[in-house]
Amino acid sequence: MSPRRVSLAELTERHRGELVGYLARMLGDHQEAEDACQEAFVRAHRAFDRLGPDANSRAWLYRIATNTGLNAARRRSHRAARAADVDPDALPATAGPSLERREELRTVRRAVEALPPRQRAALMLRQFQDLGYAEIAAALGGNEDAARANVYQALKKLRAALGGVRP
Amino acid sequence: MTRHDDELIALLLGDRRRSRALGRWLGTLEGRRELAAYRRTLEVLEALYGDAGAAPRRTIYYCPLPTPIGRVFVAAGEAGLVRLSFRQSEASFVAELRRRLGADVVRSPARTADIVHQLRAYFAGERRSFDVRLDLRHTTPFQRRVLLAAARVPDGQVVSYGEIARRIGQPHGSRAVGQALKHNPVPIVIPCHRVIAAGGRIGGYGGGLGIKRKLLRLEGALAAAG
Repeated sequence: MSPRRVSLAELTERHRGELVGYLARMLGDHQEAEDACQEAFVRAHRAFDRLGPDANSRAWLYRIATNTGLNAARRRSHRAARAADVDPDALPATAGPSLERREELRTVRRAVEALPPRQRAALMLRQFQDLGYAEIAAALGGNEDAARANVYQALKKLRAALGGVRP
Repeated sequence: MTRHDDELIALLLGDRRRSRALGRWLGTLEGRRELAAYRRTLEVLEALYGDAGAAPRRTIYYCPLPTPIGRVFVAAGEAGLVRLSFRQSEASFVAELRRRLGADVVRSPARTADIVHQLRAYFAGERRSFDVRLDLRHTTPFQRRVLLAAARVPDGQVVSYGEIARRIGQPHGSRAVGQALKHNPVPIVIPCHRVIAAGGRIGGYGGGLGIKRKLLRLEGALAAAG
């Protein structure tokens, strides 16, 4: 007996939370992330028949979500100024109240917003979605070295934005 | 930027182990400074985009209640009532909330007591309108305008789709108004059943026309609805 193929409904149910989280990190807006996730699931629905039985379905969903997110970011870059990403003033108390700390949050946030969308996607996939470089490469297209380079480039830019830090 | 950046990042991300050369450099002032700066970068990133920064997962509480129109489910979160549904199984109601809101869904009569109490009073004919906070974040701006206009139709009265379209400044949008009302996430509380077709015909209803008639009869508006 062959193992039952998991249905798309089960897949989306299982991964919806992490995908919305990923898209929110990529787009900086929860509502946009919800919309993009919805759009990604529609695309997944269309492509589901072509997903092989042994394929890594999570990586496959991340690839679709990444393409949808990159499109959304591109569409947005054509639009006028928009509301800011994460509001550092609305962060929980663990973020620390000091002025210096707030300034750091603001600086890094701005630097994240200025990243090319592919670098931002790679960074979020590596740091928050627990994807390895092979999976990041599958999601973004390109090879593992390029995936790693995207993550490292992003971190170098954020570190540079932070400026001098006392050891 | 230094020539050790890549190696330092690899070390901090756990991609590679520390080489001797890097170990020596980390003993210098420059090395210590860069290590501190990259550590801080990752900390700030975590504060901004970790669980705290990215889309906090919400909890939605729900409860069933028996009514003259059958079993009704209500669901509310911190920000207010998100959903009222009838003619739906508990499993499908919960699955729909999880899917559409990406929330943790918990059955809790205690957290939904207020709206349940008001609905009981409504079906007993003791109450005509509701005093609850609504969370309509998951509707489109157009749908919100339609829903808020429908919410202002007092009990015992009906208005036409065209009239709602006019009230929101889109006089030719009566078809779109019908669509927006069809997907009303909180029927009864936002009384989309009080919106009917032109010429006094009863129009459509997401929950079925039988329920629309029952609600209008309960409110004493059925004569007007034809």
